[in-house]
Amino acid sequence: MGRIIEEIYVWRLPVRVYHWINALCIVALAVTGLYIASPALNPPLGEAVWQHNFVMWRYVHYCVAFVFIGNFLYRLYYALLTDDVYAKFGGFRPWSPAWWGEPFKEQVASYLFLRKDEPNYVGHNPVAALAHFVFIFCGSVFMILTGLAMYGENRPGGFIERFFGWVLPIFGSSYNLHFAHHIMAWIFPLYVIMHLYAVFRHDVVDRTSVTSSIITGYKHKVEDERSL
Amino acid sequence: MPTKQTFAEVFESRGVSRRDFLKFCSLTSVALGLSPALLPDVIHAMETKPRTPVIWLHGLECTCCTESFIRSSHPVMADIVFNMISLDYDETLSAAAGQQLEDVRRKIMKEYNGKYILAIEGNIPMKDDGVYCTVGGNSFLNVVKETAAGAAAVIAWGACASFGCVQNAHPNPTGAVPVSEVIKDKPIIKVPGCPPISEVMTGVITHVHTFGTLPELDRLGRPKAFYATRIHDKCYRRAFYDAGMFVRGFDEESTRKGWCLYKMGCKGPTTYNSCSKIQWNAGTSFPIGSGHPCIGCSEPGFWDKGPFYSRLAEVSFLGTDTTADQIGVVAVGAAAAGAAAHAAVTAVKKKQHDSESEK
Repeated sequence: MGRIIEEIYVWRLPVRVYHWINALCIVALAVTGLYIASPALNPPLGEAVWQHNFVMWRYVHYCVAFVFIGNFLYRLYYALLTDDVYAKFGGFRPWSPAWWGEPFKEQVASYLFLRKDEPNYVGHNPVAALAHFVFIFCGSVFMILTGLAMYGENRPGGFIERFFGWVLPIFGSSYNLHFAHHIMAWIFPLYVIMHLYAVFRHDVVDRTSVTSSIITGYKHKVEDERSL
Repeated sequence: MPTKQTFAEVFESRGVSRRDFLKFCSLTSVALGLSPALLPDVIHAMETKPRTPVIWLHGLECTCCTESFIRSSHPVMADIVFNMISLDYDETLSAAAGQQLEDVRRKIMKEYNGKYILAIEGNIPMKDDGVYCTVGGNSFLNVVKETAAGAAAVIAWGACASFGCVQNAHPNPTGAVPVSEVIKDKPIIKVPGCPPISEVMTGVITHVHTFGTLPELDRLGRPKAFYATRIHDKCYRRAFYDAGMFVRGFDEESTRKGWCLYKMGCKGPTTYNSCSKIQWNAGTSFPIGSGHPCIGCSEPGFWDKGPFYSRLAEVSFLGTDTTADQIGVVAVGAAAAGAAAHAAVTAVKKKQHDSESEK
């Protein structure tokens, strides 16, 4: 096996903290969200007035959702207003045809087994960056906007409703809004599976310690055996 | 018919006492959610303003809005409402018919140009120049355009005129559209529901007459006084919802106990209406009160939102009806299978590569 020839500090502490808060929030939101959509537990015993079973699921969903939003905004702040090169989205420029050029094609080819060697990136590779943009950035924005619009429904005329209520007419009705929020929630489990698989695979194939890097922050460069 | 009568005059000529008139005014202001301080304004308007002429057109519809309207429950409303708004044209309720009635409509349009209220019940078929609904030999589409030209405001009665109801549900063979698709240059008050609650209908008309302005409307064009909150928010079964006590089948003990109908597909949480506040038929009951889940009849496109008895709509996907969750599970399963297959290929390739490099 190749020796580690270089240690690179890629994910600084704020990025790692963001990642894990985000991961925990998504799990909690998915579980409580699906439960809210179809409550499966047996009803509690006794008078309804003393019970708060279902309300607690909603309450946890809302609380975690606000942590999720805060965390998301914090990540945007960290990317845009600090000088951490690996946390910036600087390399990601899908509006420019050049970005879709050689590096992107190489990475796709590698994933499709059309190339023998794996292109190596310290930060995210272009395909990963695109996946993060589509699933995590766009997905989060979609869920946050639709979620806040539904949260605003609880208090018509309130602060949240005033600022996010405009989302509802875009979907036509409250029911459509709920439906969109529900069906789009499924992109997160979808993404988690692809994400975990890609990370573990890269760790096995490139041995760059990408899995542990989100805890320690360090990625490794290993000696290429073939070059020996 | 003497024109430009005030409400008070109408009440007097009908033998309604001043006491009953004041009662009517206070009930109306309560129904509109006005503060007691505004009661003198209501009385003043009722006494001094000439009655607002209303032209009420019927398009593609079932007349349930009119049926609801004539059951308005305030003590003297049922009789008085017709007189107080000066309902000059209404195919269903007018005594006159045919040419006579059409003449009245033209007369009102001319005499009260820019001042009358146009109330439309039902929606407008657009396909094939609107031949699927004709009134007095003319297509309903033309009648609406012609009558709307001089109207001060348009009231869209019911789910049909507001958002389109069963007529424009998929596949919508007559190309039926709600009023807002045809009339673009007039303020439209949408009063959805299939039918709307009678007190809501009379309340909207009274507001327009009393203040001479449109009621405050929400983002979908509905009066906030009646459509600001969901049925769910004021539902008397809300405590069972919060407690997690749900009806799971209509033949269960939980049904008899009157638990929450959320799992039976109740659309109360996504339906904006006053059913749980004002209720129906003089406050007798409303669907949830009778043990049936709300079907969301005042929401846009409620016919196309899948079965009334399930929470999630069915989505047409590859020719079969599936719910969002089934699609999600299949997608996640496919991703997992894809990842496993990719992992297998990776392993095989790596083995090949390793054995090659050993040689």
